[in-house]
Amino acid sequence: MSVFKDFVLPRSVDEARAALKQLGAEGMPVAGGTALSFLRHKEPKVAVDLSRAGLSGIAAENGGFEIGAMTSITALREFAAPGWVLDRVAHRFVTQQIRNQSTLGGNITRVFAWCDFPVALLALDASITIASDTPRAVDADEFFAGQPVRLLKAGELVRSIHVPAVRAGEGFGYRKHTRVEADFSQATAAARVKVEKGVITGARVALGASIPMPVRLPAVEQALVGRKGAIHVVNEAVALIGTRTWRSVAGFSQDYIRHLASVAVADAITDAWKAAVEGRA
Amino acid sequence: MNAKTIQLTINGEARSVDVGAGESLLHLLRRIGFTGVKNGCDEGACGACTVILNGRTVNACLTFAFQAAGGRVETIEFLGNFENPHPLQKALADEGAVQCGYCIPGMILSAKALLDRKAAPTDEEWSLHLDGNLCRCTGYEKIQSALRKLVAAQGGDQ
Amino acid sequence: MSRNFQVVNKSVRKIDALALALGKPMYAGDKVPPGALHIKFLWSPHAHAVIKSIDIRAAEQLPGVRCVLYHGNVPRIPHTTAGQGYPEPSPYDTFMFDTKVRFVGDRVAAVAADTPEIAAAAVAAIQVEYEVLSAVLSIDDAMKDGAPVIHDEPDAFAKIPVQYEPGKNLAAFVGMDVGNLDEGLAGADVVVDESYYAHYAQHCPIEPHVAFGYMDPEGRLVIVTSTQVPFHVRRIVAQCIEMPIRQIRVIKPRIGGGFGVKQEVLMEDVVAMMTVRTQKPCLLTFTREEEFVSSRTRHPIRTRIRLGAKKDGTFTAYGMDCLSNTGAYGSHALTVVCNCGSKMLPLYRAKNIHFTGTAVYTNLPVGGAYRGYGATQSSFAVESAMDELAEKLGVDPLALRQQNHIVSGETSPVFRALGEGKAGVEQSIGSCELAKCITLGAKEIGWKKRGDWRKKTGRMRRGIGMACLMQGSSIPEIDMGAASIKMNEDGSFNLLMGATDLGTGSDTVLAQIGAEALGCDVSKIIVYSSDTDMTPFDVGAYASSTTYLSGAAVKNCAEKVVKQILAVAGQMLGRKPSELAHGDSVVRAKDGSGQVTYSEIALHSLYNAEQHQIGAMSSHITHKSPPPFSAHFVEVEIDTETGALKLLKYVAAVDCGTAINPKLAEGQTEGGVMNGISYALTEEYLFSATGRMTNASFQDYKLFSMRDKPEIKTILVPSYEKTGPYGAKSVSEICINGALPAIANAIYNAVGVRLREGPFTAEKIWRGLRAMGAKA
Repeated sequence: MSVFKDFVLPRSVDEARAALKQLGAEGMPVAGGTALSFLRHKEPKVAVDLSRAGLSGIAAENGGFEIGAMTSITALREFAAPGWVLDRVAHRFVTQQIRNQSTLGGNITRVFAWCDFPVALLALDASITIASDTPRAVDADEFFAGQPVRLLKAGELVRSIHVPAVRAGEGFGYRKHTRVEADFSQATAAARVKVEKGVITGARVALGASIPMPVRLPAVEQALVGRKGAIHVVNEAVALIGTRTWRSVAGFSQDYIRHLASVAVADAITDAWKAAVEGRA
Repeated sequence: MNAKTIQLTINGEARSVDVGAGESLLHLLRRIGFTGVKNGCDEGACGACTVILNGRTVNACLTFAFQAAGGRVETIEFLGNFENPHPLQKALADEGAVQCGYCIPGMILSAKALLDRKAAPTDEEWSLHLDGNLCRCTGYEKIQSALRKLVAAQGGDQ
Repeated sequence: MSRNFQVVNKSVRKIDALALALGKPMYAGDKVPPGALHIKFLWSPHAHAVIKSIDIRAAEQLPGVRCVLYHGNVPRIPHTTAGQGYPEPSPYDTFMFDTKVRFVGDRVAAVAADTPEIAAAAVAAIQVEYEVLSAVLSIDDAMKDGAPVIHDEPDAFAKIPVQYEPGKNLAAFVGMDVGNLDEGLAGADVVVDESYYAHYAQHCPIEPHVAFGYMDPEGRLVIVTSTQVPFHVRRIVAQCIEMPIRQIRVIKPRIGGGFGVKQEVLMEDVVAMMTVRTQKPCLLTFTREEEFVSSRTRHPIRTRIRLGAKKDGTFTAYGMDCLSNTGAYGSHALTVVCNCGSKMLPLYRAKNIHFTGTAVYTNLPVGGAYRGYGATQSSFAVESAMDELAEKLGVDPLALRQQNHIVSGETSPVFRALGEGKAGVEQSIGSCELAKCITLGAKEIGWKKRGDWRKKTGRMRRGIGMACLMQGSSIPEIDMGAASIKMNEDGSFNLLMGATDLGTGSDTVLAQIGAEALGCDVSKIIVYSSDTDMTPFDVGAYASSTTYLSGAAVKNCAEKVVKQILAVAGQMLGRKPSELAHGDSVVRAKDGSGQVTYSEIALHSLYNAEQHQIGAMSSHITHKSPPPFSAHFVEVEIDTETGALKLLKYVAAVDCGTAINPKLAEGQTEGGVMNGISYALTEEYLFSATGRMTNASFQDYKLFSMRDKPEIKTILVPSYEKTGPYGAKSVSEICINGALPAIANAIYNAVGVRLREGPFTAEKIWRGLRAMGAKA
């Protein structure tokens, strides 16, 4: 059975929202469309193609970056500016063809376990702007507290994502484990750490892929703050990841995935801490 | 399934084609005669169906035909002919990089999309841009050496 | 060693390369006649079940459905899908459709309809009632007393006298002994006795199987198919649909990779039957999932190696016992497991040699021919065991190999003992540059810097491993290849061959051989392969035979043509043929008194005097299967925290005799190496508890991409094989066999973890490290 029975090609956000409003449950916004094969529908839908709605682009503003929801992963990879780190996440994202076609908005609005960007956005303290009759911004913690699409009422769309720049004294770490470069992640970890005079004064740490939905790890973060960075500090913190529902990925056991997650988190924190100390983002 | 007419440019020629709502760009292109676009997996994982859409490579199997509406599509048929092959086509043929050849149209289009942006890509850049094109015959070695030689012959300025 | 060649041993451009790079319509799927019906299969959801009833009425009544086939409306003819010489050594245990299904993905029924969507809907509308039987999902379960019998049908049989006992789930057995293994082991100072498991994998040609059929205007059936074995396809289709061979034409266009999986008649019987029944063109294309589940795989084989050695490193005993899982059907069951022994046992000298090969049926996907063909599985075992033995002896594993490997002029009793379904053919080794392969490869990888794993520290640890390999070139006194050549007015030649280029470049290699003998440029050779109506017979592309066997047929044929050319030129120049020399498309009088061009000779022979077509046909069989030899080396780096392995460099030094086309020989090597690497590190079949493959997709079953590849260095080490065309041996299969053992040995050298089961995933390495308590 075909996924779609019809399509509309709106030329603006307003047109797209109007179409979705009118279609109700029948309508389905399509970003890059590369993950549609993972979805199962009982009935064919009407595709509302967002690619012409003017939602693509990256702008530096408000001490960070405003990223249009339809910005491709390739655009994230190619963008460069002080404090910009999403290129690292994009660099490890599937293949060139899919980086070209997939969008940031698509990757974060319907979250699959292996999605990478939610992990990074949680660590970076991003916020997500929703186009609506009552436009609003939702912080990443709330946005990813459940399947994000739950937050969107008929006719609402993710418009843009704001990512604060990684500033001096801060560092970002990102680790992703796969069998080959282009593969579903087995464990993705991201960390943003602030270091002042050798002491960690702020930390956001997130984990995904190894668990059903990406999460922040507040206990790990708290164990870092106020400490001088060192390997034993990282290891003590990582021990606080806690009991989770570990996935069994591609024939790898839950036991191994749990271990891999802890290594990924430790490495991401270590990378972030070193970057902060060494004055790199 | 509703068929609808879309306009798009294929290999420089403006076309008006009827497409099904659920039809992939791969299906459309092969249906109207562009058989250089190959079907290897139909799940976006092998790159045999790679085409260039608006200057960027995509897997035609993962692209709905409607997503190409108003767009510019380039397939392998656009690149060259026996008398005047594209430098990439000649480079790969000369280097023994074409074995069964089934992955090659997609491989060449991925390489072209990079070459159109950057005159002298490094090995690492080639690998990044060609990472979505699986080849089971060559082990990629001859493909890489063909690309290196092409860059060198064009006076790579890296 | 090198001779003064004009065309061979040169890297001419592969003759079809540019057309393929231009994206011309050259594959079966590009040539489908308009209006072709689409065929889809209904596959078994059960690993083992009896079909109690099938109701196809609802499917037949769907508008656009043209034909439904199932066991109730097709002939029941036992056959094998294996494309092998006739009579085949594989059991006749397969039917177009049967009343029983034997693995998840087995055939139940097929539909031909106007569109793929209608065909899919019709498949879904077929009502089947199954009686589910208990399934056999492992080698061990297959051999248990009271195990469910997978082939209990009374009409399955072995076509030739081989050991075949379906009542015990035994698809094949073969064995041999020289001397006494137990005595050899008893007399050893050091013994290794270990088992190694080479796992399920798929060939993954980027073009999945595709075939279509149509009735030509004179009522003959034409099948265009992506096959390695067009003549076997014709014979087996004729057998299965009960049509005379003369009514069938099989055409092989360009094919998008095969690696053995297209040495199998997997779809053409149904395409043929549908085409005949509907009298319309019918197309069948496998999806990637079908390619994984319902086509063919590498036979998983557990190999027990027993090696005994004296302290001085001489071998007293060399035993190999292979247990092969052939899956639900016995395609290549005997010959693959037999090759485990016949290809790897002769590599090392030993007084006491023992071999058994046992292939059992299971309710799992079906094994088949796969590049390497048994040698892949056994080389993993042998070459791992060699390193284990070297460790016990306290010697350099490289030196142990140097001390014991076979050399030119030696023979092995194994050659005579193990053939393909019958006794083998005695041979002594002619060309062999294995020693040089080892030294050159060792130098390239930096073997000298290799240290003991016990002295390594830090999170990231590096290791170097190696493996030695041998294969064969053709199946002696079984395989046959033939070629015909005719001359055209412009001095060009049509070279018509049954040999089947599956993307390897064999059309080019054979054209070079023809051009060398004919004395012309390769551009003057117009190659056509393969078409059962037009080209002479050839068994097809398998058993590393095309260059060595079909190449000799081309050379013989070209030499016959040269005689005719010289005869005509002699008439034209008033000279005896012995007074003439040919080359550069010209015949010259040796005394310099005159010359005629090939074009003039052709025109003369066709139009002027004693008109006749200059042309010939030749067949060739081989009496040897000269092994190519290879030494592989690899350096890896392992993250001891996660077990993740990174390949740093891979070196393959190979002696394939004269490389007819060095670039293509390198390409064969590099492709085989990469396939082997990917197999060693990530490729595997994952199964549910009920025997269903759970990762039948390129998203889940991972091949290496360009981004994953290490530096690969190929070293062609020339030798001259006197029995081969211009000194050539084979090159296509041998290089897939090294990665599994070389990487296993490198892992051990890096971290002291010995893995005896592939693939070498990060988790397996991590578990090994954890078991050792050797965490960084």
